[in-house]
Amino acid sequence: MPHIQLAEGLPGIRSLFAFRPETARPLCDLADVLLHAPGTLTTGERELIAMYVSSQNDCHYCQTTHGAIAAHHLGGNDALVQAVKRDFEHAEVSAKLKALLNIASKVQRGGKQVQPEDIERARREGATDREIHDAVLIAAAFCMYNRYVDGLATWAPPEIPGYRERAAHVAEHGYLGIPQTVLAQTGG
Amino acid sequence: MKPMFLPEVEANPRPSPVTDLIRIAQSSAAEYPKIWHLFGYRPEATTHLGEFTQAIMRGDCPLSPGIRELIAAFTSHRNDCPF
Repeated sequence: MPHIQLAEGLPGIRSLFAFRPETARPLCDLADVLLHAPGTLTTGERELIAMYVSSQNDCHYCQTTHGAIAAHHLGGNDALVQAVKRDFEHAEVSAKLKALLNIASKVQRGGKQVQPEDIERARREGATDREIHDAVLIAAAFCMYNRYVDGLATWAPPEIPGYRERAAHVAEHGYLGIPQTVLAQTGG
Repeated sequence: MKPMFLPEVEANPRPSPVTDLIRIAQSSAAEYPKIWHLFGYRPEATTHLGEFTQAIMRGDCPLSPGIRELIAAFTSHRNDCPF
């Protein structure tokens, strides 16, 4: 049960977006720039970073949501999502993405955990400054989203089927429409 | 000042108010917080962080701005982030 009175039936961060539309807008705008807008990392790669950080933060809603969105971008390959979550160093992803996931995992533990050799490894595997920058910002932003979702003990459906339909919609349309969607659902 | 991990972030600010601040500080050899470079490098992302911060720190809320800044300062202290 959530720590504060939230609209029933809206899962995870969506219930918080409905509660506080003023902060929902920039949070969704940021998610859209980082995860959905055109970039040199694929949307699948960026969602995998978001999913991985959320899993390390033990945030059920965010890791399931962004895992489902990542799987959608990866042609339905949920096995790859689970493999990255378990042990990304041995998953079937590029050496560059492994190096960026390594940086993201350090950011999750604390910004100062990132060492020059982590940056060097990413550069060696072909990551640009822009890609390293965005990996760090995705990881940092998801630490915020994860703590926001769990710090207020939001409700979330336990099983994956509840996530797939929303994931497909977000994968296709991005994050910008979410604040409006949740307000419509609460009659706001 | 110590260089950042990513030289491109320091070397390629895009036009923005914070970029003007960086230029002024650099021209007078003044020290300045390097978070400014993060805001100057990728304004299409960081502008939303600015809007979020404004909404949560100064938006309509029964907690005074002073109390909200205390919460932010306390959390940053616990995260060992002096800025």
